[in-house]
Amino acid sequence: TVRPKNEVEHKQLCAFGEYVAEILPKYIQQVQVTCFNELELMIHPDGIIPVLTFLRDHTNAQFKSLADLTAVDVPSRQYRFEIVYNLLSLRFNSRIRVKTYTDELTPIDSAVSVHKAANWYEREVWDMYGVFFANHPDLRRILTDYGFEGHPFRKDFPLSGYVEV
Amino acid sequence: VFTPSVQTTGLVGLAVAENPHERLRILYTKILGVLQNIPKDAAYRKYTEQIVNQRFSLVQAETDVQKLQDKLNSGHIEEVIVQAENELSLARKMLQWKPWEPLVEEPPSDQWRWPI
Repeated sequence: TVRPKNEVEHKQLCAFGEYVAEILPKYIQQVQVTCFNELELMIHPDGIIPVLTFLRDHTNAQFKSLADLTAVDVPSRQYRFEIVYNLLSLRFNSRIRVKTYTDELTPIDSAVSVHKAANWYEREVWDMYGVFFANHPDLRRILTDYGFEGHPFRKDFPLSGYVEV
Repeated sequence: VFTPSVQTTGLVGLAVAENPHERLRILYTKILGVLQNIPKDAAYRKYTEQIVNQRFSLVQAETDVQKLQDKLNSGHIEEVIVQAENELSLARKMLQWKPWEPLVEEPPSDQWRWPI
């Protein structure tokens, strides 16, 4: 069985994507809607706080809930890490994904000032990938052992690690 | 002493608003005042003015709170007040960020290509 295509929702998401891209041309590099009706916004890293605040506070957006904050490691790119924010709007029952990029050394603005939920998610991204978040209230390791060296989710980190247990 | 006709909003942390029409009138005029400082051709100003004027006219036309809530179709009147406060703070921040300017920096050509 194949999931039936929802053309109406697809059109609505396309329209909303164009709306946001028209309001924030300074930061939005690309907008796409996947075939599964997921709206994705590709952002320049300087624009994280403006875009997230806009999506949270604007009347037509109201994405009050940060559902997830993760990173993706693609080592072949110049900016290898792709930071992904998944937002949910309770008023309009709609989801949106915001993506940014950075490399190992460039810090990224912390989203904690916009969404308190980002606190532990950013600690996890720091611990697992090594992406530094500027203005984070308490950026320290959260999942790895106390003296652990390295960032385990990077693609160049071996599966069994460097230390024998 | 304010004795509300509805006992509670039913929402945690939101008290029943006394005189919501006055509060909304003040907030919407403040938002429109902040929007005046944004360039006229900016999309944010255009769309936000549209939303605010639409809601403002509904607020001025309808004096009954229940009917106003139904017409606005955006939850309790207290939630509408919170949303207007958020829009006001957003408008003030937009004045500093100026997101209507052209793109800051183009991404590297392979950045958003998927599959790699």
